[in-house]
Amino acid sequence: MTRRTLSPALLGWLLAAPAVLFLLGGFVLPAAQTLFLGFNAKTEAGVMQYGLTLDNYRRAFANDLYWRVLLRTVRLAASAAFVAMIVGYPLAWAVARGQAWLSRTVTLVLVAPLLVNVVVRSYGWSAILSRSGLIAWAAIGLGVASADEPPALLYTEWAVLIASVHVFLPFMVLPLAGALSRIPPAVEQAAMVAGASPFRVFLRVTLPLSLPGLAVGLPLVFSLTAAAYVTPQILGGNFSPLLGTLIEQQVLTLHDWPFGAALSTLLVVMVLLVNLLFIGVLARRLRGWTTGPA
Amino acid sequence: MTDARIPLPLLAVVLALLVVIVAPLAVPVAMSISDTPYIAFPPEGFTLEWYVNVLTDPEAQAALVVSLKLALASTLAALALGIPCAMALVRLRFPGRGAVLALVLGPLVVPLIVTGVGLLQFFSLLGLRGAFLQLWIGHTVVCLPYVVRSVSGALTTADPTQEDAARVLGAGPVQVFLRVIWPQIRHGVAAAAIFAFIISFDDFAISMWLSDARNFPLPLYLYAAIQRFFDPSIAALSALMVFFALGLVLLLEKGLGIGVRRIAG
Repeated sequence: MTRRTLSPALLGWLLAAPAVLFLLGGFVLPAAQTLFLGFNAKTEAGVMQYGLTLDNYRRAFANDLYWRVLLRTVRLAASAAFVAMIVGYPLAWAVARGQAWLSRTVTLVLVAPLLVNVVVRSYGWSAILSRSGLIAWAAIGLGVASADEPPALLYTEWAVLIASVHVFLPFMVLPLAGALSRIPPAVEQAAMVAGASPFRVFLRVTLPLSLPGLAVGLPLVFSLTAAAYVTPQILGGNFSPLLGTLIEQQVLTLHDWPFGAALSTLLVVMVLLVNLLFIGVLARRLRGWTTGPA
Repeated sequence: MTDARIPLPLLAVVLALLVVIVAPLAVPVAMSISDTPYIAFPPEGFTLEWYVNVLTDPEAQAALVVSLKLALASTLAALALGIPCAMALVRLRFPGRGAVLALVLGPLVVPLIVTGVGLLQFFSLLGLRGAFLQLWIGHTVVCLPYVVRSVSGALTTADPTQEDAARVLGAGPVQVFLRVIWPQIRHGVAAAAIFAFIISFDDFAISMWLSDARNFPLPLYLYAAIQRFFDPSIAALSALMVFFALGLVLLLEKGLGIGVRRIAG
């Protein structure tokens, strides 16, 4: 064996080095610089001043306007995750336990919106939810609303919620379907034989065993909704901005980079906290089951 | 056994939800052939004028060219960086392997909008100019995790003993890669390339920070157009993008036998 010149360790590093170096420069350093800037500079009267400071964060929490944007972002992201769970459950059921054709169709239809550009999707929703849109037209046609005062969901938080659930639904349904299909049928049959009604089987057996899927889906939908920019911008109007819009305004319009950096850091922290929370809760629940009733 | 059946009421709910999911994709298509010079429901008449309008618009054409160039360049860069990295991660045990894996998947965890604003500030600090180069770097960062994941998946299912056999029989590393590994992973690489292309072509959250007037990708153009024009040209452009996405789904599913569900997870 004379040809073997490189050790696996060296070869491994050589192969990984280009990607690692690229990501250090194109991802890690920029992220670190953003984190740093939020603590190390502030903008006063349009001029950036360097020096260690917490003013950016103080401003985010003390100013009523910014504080409300933060709260609205959390509320909307949490609602989207919750609604996606309710809407996603029947879909996941169809994917995991439906006939083959149904399972395939549901998967395809679910993933299709992901491949369509976010601007197009939001535009499609605006054409449905606007005053001259599909819903208003149908409501007037059914006599539910009058043509003088057509109903509109466009430029409300509802529109943003609907569109967010729409696009991020696959991130809820596919993990949930995975968890559902991993439940052995014998477990449910045993509960049924023991006299449990189908509803009780669902509540006491199927639902708890599908929690690992929810623990993946809920934080994913939350994170993606909280970080969205285009959908709230097109469907929410300028009246109720979310965190993404606020960051964009601060950086591109007002050129307050330190405050934009601090808001970006808050967004990352928020997303990480929610993810860690779910991982923690899930780990505890699972430990509880394997060691007997708590 | 009636195991693989779901109750009728549930089926009805599921089918109704599917209609709602398809609606926002179908409505622009319906609007795009409407004869009225404004957007209203229901669409009236039939015309392909809006498609002609959009396809002959120089700004839309320029945006499309930028997007295609960017997607191609980012896909190639992500493949060049990602395939060797996936090989190292799957086939070799080396110190720091866990850290490399975490680093490579990192861009999936951080919100895109934050990655983008970080790049904007970092490039400005470095004094790096050239919007296309900046966009190229940003898009490659975002595409790379998908390439590594997809190629790693393909490598995990490839049989390493065949590689050992080839090596024992005297094949060099390049020969082993080209004649043994490549045939087994090329579908995974093709999937990776298509994912990367879609991610770049559809990107908004990175491009919104780094683009300038001459490098203005298609999603940004569409976003700006929505706020400027109110005729069905926007719907026509949207419809074209829906058809493009459907074409990609078919290519993945039928051409390569790759389930589209992989995109979501």
